[in-house]
Amino acid sequence: MVVTAKAADGKEIGKVEKHYHPQATNCRDTKMKYGAQWKVANLRDTSFQPMKPKKETIEFDLPEGVRAADVTVDLFYELGNPEQKYPIHTITKKVSLDR
Amino acid sequence: MRFLKLIIVLLFISVPLAASADKAKTIDDLAKMYDSSRCKDCHAEIYGQWEKSHHARPLMGVKGGLMLTPLAKKGETAFSPEDPKKATLKNFPCFKCHLPQAITSAEDSVAVELAEALIAGDKAKVGRLQITCIVCHSDKAIVHKRELGEPEKGVLYGAKNMDSHPDKIFTKVKKSAIMHDSIACGQCHGLGPNFEFDQAFQCANLYGSYLHNYISSGGTKSCQDCHMQKGDHLFALDWNDDKGASALLGKAISLEVETLGYEWLKKAKTYIPKVVVSTTITTTAGHRVPDG
Repeated sequence: MVVTAKAADGKEIGKVEKHYHPQATNCRDTKMKYGAQWKVANLRDTSFQPMKPKKETIEFDLPEGVRAADVTVDLFYELGNPEQKYPIHTITKKVSLDR
Repeated sequence: MRFLKLIIVLLFISVPLAASADKAKTIDDLAKMYDSSRCKDCHAEIYGQWEKSHHARPLMGVKGGLMLTPLAKKGETAFSPEDPKKATLKNFPCFKCHLPQAITSAEDSVAVELAEALIAGDKAKVGRLQITCIVCHSDKAIVHKRELGEPEKGVLYGAKNMDSHPDKIFTKVKKSAIMHDSIACGQCHGLGPNFEFDQAFQCANLYGSYLHNYISSGGTKSCQDCHMQKGDHLFALDWNDDKGASALLGKAISLEVETLGYEWLKKAKTYIPKVVVSTTITTTAGHRVPDG
């Protein structure tokens, strides 16, 4: 998931990436491995679990003089490598500090 | 006495020869042995779904990626042979699930041919090795072998008993005890590390996740309830279908976004304009997403 905040002029204010997947090593070193032929066991699992909603709170501090932002949340599935990308959802919201 | 000894020696020699004579020596032999193409004569729709499924291309990866290639190359994995010409079935532990019939029905020469085909990038040859109808509806149809015995020759296992089945080899159908249960899929779709090998490795964890996260949270659906709706043998999701995969992921995974803009009072007279984004991702899948 990539969460991006941009000012009205399109300039990026901030960008946060969250990765959700099981992470495995070969249990002989500390390097994460991809591929069943190299993985031996998961040591961390940030994936989506059944019946357990995954909640995040992300904060962006706005630069001086900026009172609004366009926030885009892009959720996609990367299969094997970042080039094999399957879009899932893209949601954009305008946020203003002015009433 | 000499004659008796000769008979005994001949028996010892001939039994293994007879056993090996039943096994496939080439990829073509193995493909023919498990060929299910005649199933489409009567089950055209199901066969058409299966043809598009990952079961029809278990060694091809996604979009023809030939994911087993590192196993064929010297030094690339702990399982790789010194020389592809010396490959044996043991160099391909992935056969446990990606080609289970190789373990029961192939000679090491099939591993040699596969290793050479992988290195040569011969997709046509590698693509001949499939998880066909026979694999699930015969070889993998019984998990209670102590009680029910091995799958019978000439018998397919399915949803109901059929005394007569119009096929030249599989002339009968017996009701399978597990075909509608997740355990049928769980045989291959992973509990965690595979410890039965001399070098442990881990592929899919889906069935483990299903048992320990979904069932333990009160889930009641089976793999088949979601992935084989109305008997669909595509076993969606199909990673080769970009749009279809995205659509199915979008259906199973929801994203909610809430935002808030305000000025945070960090300390006296110091306001920091801030945007807060709250996201909630929920999945209806009965297993972790992603897995493997």
